[in-house]
Amino acid sequence: MASVFSAPGFDFSNQLRNNFIAEKGLPLPKATSTGTTIVGCLFEDGIVLGADTRATEGPIVADKNCEKIHYITESIRCCGAGTAADTEFTTALISSNMELHGLTSGRKPRVVTAMTMLKQMLFRYQGQIGAALVLGGVDATGPHLFTIHPHGSTDKLPYVTMGSGSLAAMAVFESGWQANMTRDAALQLVKDAIAAGIFNDLGSGSNIDACIITASHTEMLRNVEMPNVRVQKERQYGFRRGTTAWKSEDVRNLIVSEEITLLAGGDEMDTT
Amino acid sequence: MTSIGTGYDLSASTYSPDGRIFQVEYANKAVENSGTAIGLKVKDGVVLAVEKLVHSKLLVPGANRRIQTVDRHIGLATAGLPADGRTVASRARDEAANFRDVYRSPPTLKTVADRLGHFVQMYTLYSSVRPFGISTILGAVDKDGPALYVIEPSGVFFGYHGAAVGKGRQLAKTELEKLKLSELTAREAVIEAARIIYLVHEDAKEKEFELEMSWIGPETNNQHVAVPQDLFNEAEAKAREALVSGLE
Amino acid sequence: MDHIDFQQLKSGEVNLGTSIMAVQFADGVVIGADSRTTTGSYIANRVTDKLTHVHDRVYCCRSGSAADTQAVADIVHYYLQLYSQSSGAPPPVHTAASLFQKLCYENKDALSAGIIVAGWDKEIGPSVYNIPLGGGLFRQPWAIGGSGSTYVYGYCDATYQEGWGRDETINFVKNTLALAMSRDGSSGGVIRMCVITEGGVERLFVPGNELPKFWQGTEVLSPVKGKAVPEPQVVPMTVE
Repeated sequence: MASVFSAPGFDFSNQLRNNFIAEKGLPLPKATSTGTTIVGCLFEDGIVLGADTRATEGPIVADKNCEKIHYITESIRCCGAGTAADTEFTTALISSNMELHGLTSGRKPRVVTAMTMLKQMLFRYQGQIGAALVLGGVDATGPHLFTIHPHGSTDKLPYVTMGSGSLAAMAVFESGWQANMTRDAALQLVKDAIAAGIFNDLGSGSNIDACIITASHTEMLRNVEMPNVRVQKERQYGFRRGTTAWKSEDVRNLIVSEEITLLAGGDEMDTT
Repeated sequence: MTSIGTGYDLSASTYSPDGRIFQVEYANKAVENSGTAIGLKVKDGVVLAVEKLVHSKLLVPGANRRIQTVDRHIGLATAGLPADGRTVASRARDEAANFRDVYRSPPTLKTVADRLGHFVQMYTLYSSVRPFGISTILGAVDKDGPALYVIEPSGVFFGYHGAAVGKGRQLAKTELEKLKLSELTAREAVIEAARIIYLVHEDAKEKEFELEMSWIGPETNNQHVAVPQDLFNEAEAKAREALVSGLE
Repeated sequence: MDHIDFQQLKSGEVNLGTSIMAVQFADGVVIGADSRTTTGSYIANRVTDKLTHVHDRVYCCRSGSAADTQAVADIVHYYLQLYSQSSGAPPPVHTAASLFQKLCYENKDALSAGIIVAGWDKEIGPSVYNIPLGGGLFRQPWAIGGSGSTYVYGYCDATYQEGWGRDETINFVKNTLALAMSRDGSSGGVIRMCVITEGGVERLFVPGNELPKFWQGTEVLSPVKGKAVPEPQVVPMTVE
């Protein structure tokens, strides 16, 4: 008879196994991180958010054209930097809760509400959720712009940057930002800030996404600028037909043909 | 009683067709059968006094007290079922301690009365429980000065200058109304309280009773304590005296 | 470890390496703070508001982890709303300070928060409470906190006097913070102040280029009066 005895307490055998596998040269998979430039900027009648589109896995570019401006509500959006999975799922969760909040209260939910939900969740996880966010939007109380750090602290400022390219982007803002800018001027500044990240920060790259939020309208400008399109190669590197010699030829038909013959008509569906 | 036999009085969770809850009204009857309890809110303090009916000579004097201490500055006197009084007092102590724990300051009487009112009201909602058969007089001197509240079996509570519950409440209230409560000192109020309890007892021609008195005021450092023996004796003697002269 | 590592923040945590201060006077309290928030060596916010509202006449100055102190202040803000709604009166400053102290003490292992609570109430009038890292609670006529405070204890001890009015108190706070900010690399930016009295809360702002100036260290380089400056003995190197 097989023994049904099991030792009391926790079972650490999986940890032992994982350590053993890691020792043999197969470490646990690493999370995809968005070594990123994300920014936000206040202008005369709203908010402009901006982001690059590079996602990295260590030294490798995992996605050359990912989306980092996430939907929270129609007039609230959130840029995410840090662990891609964490920014994706936290913004999705808060977006869902904001929709429900709007339904239960019968009002358009506010930016501070999203900010509070995000900071309380991130604080609860004590920095384990690696999400660094730029939250912006327009509500009944006007335009608002916040940064939220992974440990749950928040800042409210007229222009903000986050991610590994934040220093390059902030340099652009610090020299170019003015109060009450026009929509076009603000968009240009945001594009410049992201471009600074793309060109000066290794973690950032590819294209520029922007999002303009005003009281009446939200405009998502996907790939508003593409400064890194692959150009046509100057020469063709293909080989001419017939370059490689061969000795024999064998052509096989890979299509399997099959014929079905019904033996009797009794199996047909009764459609009367 | 018109309610008997109708079936509407069997549960606290059932209304009668005219919108009454008979179980709560019966709880008030339990209060009306009890010895009188009074409370006086005066210029500088609060006095609580109770006519504790002693139904047997075999009982030890001073047992089954009906005045209890809730917090250092809060006293409580009940009229009705003595056991219910102990439950409510225990809850009042918990609420006061909880307030101190959270806010690190002595609770105001209003806060305690409010929380206790909610507690009492919860026992008027469910078929599985019986409403408390007591009216509770709460007295204190808090940061806003002297305060006096009465919580009824329904859970409602009111603030009073002078309060009386139990068998002799009608006569006690008329006596309280004659006093200028806002001009009295706590010491003077003790004398008056004893007189009123003796008066309402005499009026009912009830059996033996024990007078129970506590006070909160400048002489007690605003803490709830029993009236000291010498003052108690003086008050009791004057009460008897007043009774004799009043009868003539 | 045989002692608590006070400066230990979680890696990448946003820090309020700070200079904060609160002083009581006859009619109210003056609270003040610098405006610098850092992540490592980067200034994440140079115009931070570290003077946080927790009730109509009670504010706190936050130092330590930004996330921790914001979370604690939010919780206390919630409790004080609850208090004023249920009791029908604004909470005493002591109650607010006690709530901060309770949270800071009971979660001392998980928090790095040094908070000064100050305000005005009907019972006591103006008061200042200091809640340092371990979660103690101390009432003080004046309190300073944050990494910059270590540089100005002596100045405060030497300067503070009882019986000051509003303007003298504001000056004391302004000067103390300017001194702390000039010596502490983790403090800087602008000075924000609040004057909390029975009548209301007045916000004051000193821009970074208008901070009070003290000895700048330039005199050393100028010649001492009546003495000739000796010629340098070194012969400059000839460059081919």
